[in-house]
Order: sequence, then structure tokens, then C-alpha cells
Amino acid sequence: MNEKPKTEPPVTRRTFLRNGSRIAAMTGLGALAGVVATRSTAEGWVWQIDPQKCLRCGNCATECVLEQSAVKCVHAFAICGYCNLCTGYFEPEPNALTTAAENQLCPTSAIKRSFVEDPYYEYTIDEKLCIGCAKCVEGCNRFGNGSLFLQIRHDRCVHCNECSIARTCAGDAFRRVPAKQPYLLKTTHAH
Amino acid sequence: MKREFRLSSRRDFFGQSAGALAALSAIAAQRGQAGQRGSPNPFAYDISHLQKTDPKLIAYEETARWKAPHPEARRMAIAHDDALYICSGNYVTVMNQSGERCTEIALAEPPRCVAVAKDGAIFIGLRDHIEIFDAKGARQATWDSPGKKPWLTGLAVTENDVFAADSGNRVILRYDKSGKLVRRIGEKNKERNIPGFIIPSPFLDVEIARDGLLRVNNPGRHRVETYTSDGDFEGSWGAVSMGITGFCGCCNPINLALLADGRFVTCEKGLPRVKIYSASGEFESVVAGVESFAENGKACGPSDCTAGGLDAVVDSQGRIFILDFVTGDVHVMKRKA
Repeated sequence: MNEKPKTEPPVTRRTFLRNGSRIAAMTGLGALAGVVATRSTAEGWVWQIDPQKCLRCGNCATECVLEQSAVKCVHAFAICGYCNLCTGYFEPEPNALTTAAENQLCPTSAIKRSFVEDPYYEYTIDEKLCIGCAKCVEGCNRFGNGSLFLQIRHDRCVHCNECSIARTCAGDAFRRVPAKQPYLLKTTHAH
Repeated sequence: MKREFRLSSRRDFFGQSAGALAALSAIAAQRGQAGQRGSPNPFAYDISHLQKTDPKLIAYEETARWKAPHPEARRMAIAHDDALYICSGNYVTVMNQSGERCTEIALAEPPRCVAVAKDGAIFIGLRDHIEIFDAKGARQATWDSPGKKPWLTGLAVTENDVFAADSGNRVILRYDKSGKLVRRIGEKNKERNIPGFIIPSPFLDVEIARDGLLRVNNPGRHRVETYTSDGDFEGSWGAVSMGITGFCGCCNPINLALLADGRFVTCEKGLPRVKIYSASGEFESVVAGVESFAENGKACGPSDCTAGGLDAVVDSQGRIFILDFVTGDVHVMKRKA
């Protein structure tokens, strides 16, 4: 007796959706695995600011996940002119070239000015006070030798996979660098 | 009433999914741009008020403007016949006051400064030595380099002497006409009460006034100093200020010119502006303010502010020619009636 050939039931909408959901879930899991894998390969790399691209927009002070930004101003002493009128230290029109608060550009007084010899002064950054606002960097770059610039300090940075400052950086100045060489320092004078 | 269960159609399903994806994308994009679109930078370095010049202070008007003949214009000089000598590219070009080329001297490297003697001899300062040409552009002599790390940025010539400003070694070198180094002027010397030049960026200029004394800018001290040709320090004037009456930034003025009556024309960078000071150093007026040199002002960009700069010379009629190092423009300025 001949058996009737079995006919495949048509794919119902419910079956289609169920299978679709499973495929979507598998795809999602795959993506998650990919992200984890990517993260693991990102080890050995850290975020850093390219000082040549930095636009001093102020986002480093406000966009970091830390309450006080991991971005700090650093000073290339080899480039500094040790100026009496340091435009990174003084307000654009200071009353006098003194350390009085009203003459200082830094909103947190994080730059220390000390006399070297006539007419030279040394400027050092107190990183505990620096909030990475780049106001001094702008002043130094506009009228000085550009010896002040921003860097992510890796003793503070929590190494977010997607740096929240990088996402908003107006100059696209954030990039990953090898953890073995975590800083992009200014070393030469652009004469 | 029992609610009827109904599967959505495939079209609805895909439509709703696409809608949800679009909404999520929009939210993500908004979050990504939040930092840029937020309120203005609360830490902005605001100098906008310094970039506008009070019109009442501007005593000159521009009557013409023309281009330097080659890119990378640096310095210029004016001869007794009012011909202009412009350093640009690897050339020194002699131009008339309308900006037409007359003759041109080609050099092996960029000229940094130039001066013209009464007899027409042309003294050209390259980075580390001086070359001399006759009025027709034929080379007459090449002097030896003055020593370690010279960076010549200014020249002045008298009947018997040549004064070269070496910003690399922070000194004015006095030569005789044969090229023999006679004296070093302006080096720090407490016994002679010479303060020394402070030069954070390579701008040092020297001019000979009608009184026979040298006028030299000391940019790191924001002043103009007077020396005898034997190197005695006679005095100085100048004040630090971002305002219009003083010299701004780390190091200004960068270049000088002298009017026939002994008044000074000063050139500044950072806030690029050209001003007039009395013979004793009181601010008098503005020749051209920051507004006149928009591109030059931008040269102090993300890298640093050692780029940019201006130079000026004065002709026999008191007109001031300003060379913009960034655009290569020569601005011809005449005193307002």
C-alpha cells in the first residue's frame, strides 16, 4: 500500500517570527562576543590627546566620567620662554604682573609662578588643582611658544572603553596609543 | 469583551522595527553630539575686545595693497630712492612703490633680512651669514658666519658700519664694510649696566636713527632700547600691555622702523598691529590694527604663536609699507588728511 507522501507544513507567521527572534538573539550574542573580544584586544592601548589637534574647547573639563577630569595641563619646559608676561598664567589684561588672584587666568589657580632670574619666571602645574579646562593652553598657544598642552594622566584615567571626552572632542584629537608609550609630548619648537 | 489576538503583518513588523531603529539611532547621535552642542565653553579665553581697534586711534588709511613676489615673505628694506627690497622665498626682489618688479637676486637659501647702503650696495642676511651684492645684483662678497647658532633677523647699514641682529645669540654684531667683526653689542653685562636681550622667538631688529644711535627691540622685555655704536646702553622705553598702548604677548615688538622725525613705527605679532610712538616712547596712534591682518592673527593657531609677524618701512614721503608675513601682502599706508 502506497503511503501518502508527507507534505511539509507551510511556514506560519508565528514560526517565522519565532525563528526570526532566535536568529536575532544569536546575532546579538555574537555581537556581544565581538565587543568583548575587541575589548580584550584593546588591552595594551590607552587613550591620549594629540596636542597638535587639540582645539582647547573646554570639553575635557566637563565630559570626563570622573568628577575631576583625568585630563591635565602639562608643561614642556624645553619649549617654554619663561616669560615674565606669561599669557598662559595671566589674564589678557592683568592689573599687574603679580600672583594676585585677579590677575590669574586659571580658574583654580593651578599654575604656580616662581622667580628664576631677571626677567625669567618658571610656571609649574599643580595637577591636584588642574581641571583640564585648557584656558592656559589657549593663552600660551595664542601668544607664547605653545609649551602648555593637555594630556590624559593615566594614574587617574579609568580607561573607559569608549572615552566620554573622545566622543565629544571637537578637534578629533583623541586617539589610542600603546600603553607602553602613553603620552604624546611636545618636544620641539615650531620655529 | 474578549480581546481578539491578532498577529501583525510582516509589513507592519518590519515597519515598526525600522521606526524603532531610527529612533534609537537619533537618540544615540544626540548623545554623541551633546558635548559639542552644549552651552558655550565656560573656560573660553576671550580676547575679542582686543581684536577691535578704536577708529579714533587709527591715523592712517590704506591706499594700495599688492603681493610680495614669492611665498614666505619675511623682511623688507627701503633704499634712499624709495625702492623696496623684499625678502621672500629664496629671493630678494627690488620693487617700485606700485608693486612692480624691477630686479631680483636669487639666493641659495631664504634671505632673513636686507639693508641697502647709500651707494646702492645690498646687504642680505641669510640665516648664518651675510652676502653683499652691488646695485645691479652682482655678488661682491660673502662674509663668514659669526659663530655658533647664528640666526640673523635684522640689518642696518651706515657709511662705515654694518649692524646685524643675531637673534640666535641675542646680540647685535657690528662689522666694518670689509666684513671684519668690530664689536658685539647688547650682551648682558652687569658692569656696563646692559640688561641683555630676551628673545623667546626669533625676532630681533636693529635700526640706525638720525642721531647716530642704534634702536633695538628687546621683545622679551617688551621695550625698545637705545645703544651707541660702541655698545653703551643709553636707555629704553616700552610697557607690557595687551591694550593698545603697550606691547602684548610673550615677546613684542618684533620689528621697528623710524619716521624722519625720530618717531617709531612698531610691529607686533599675536595681536598683529602696527603703531606709532613718539621719539621718547609715548603711544601716539595706530597705523593698522588687528582687523587689517585677519590671516596673520590666525597664524597663532593650534601649534603655537611663533608663526606670523609683520615688518614695516617708511618712505621719503612718510608713507608706511607693511609686509604681512602670512599673506605676503604689502599694505601701503598714508596718513589721514
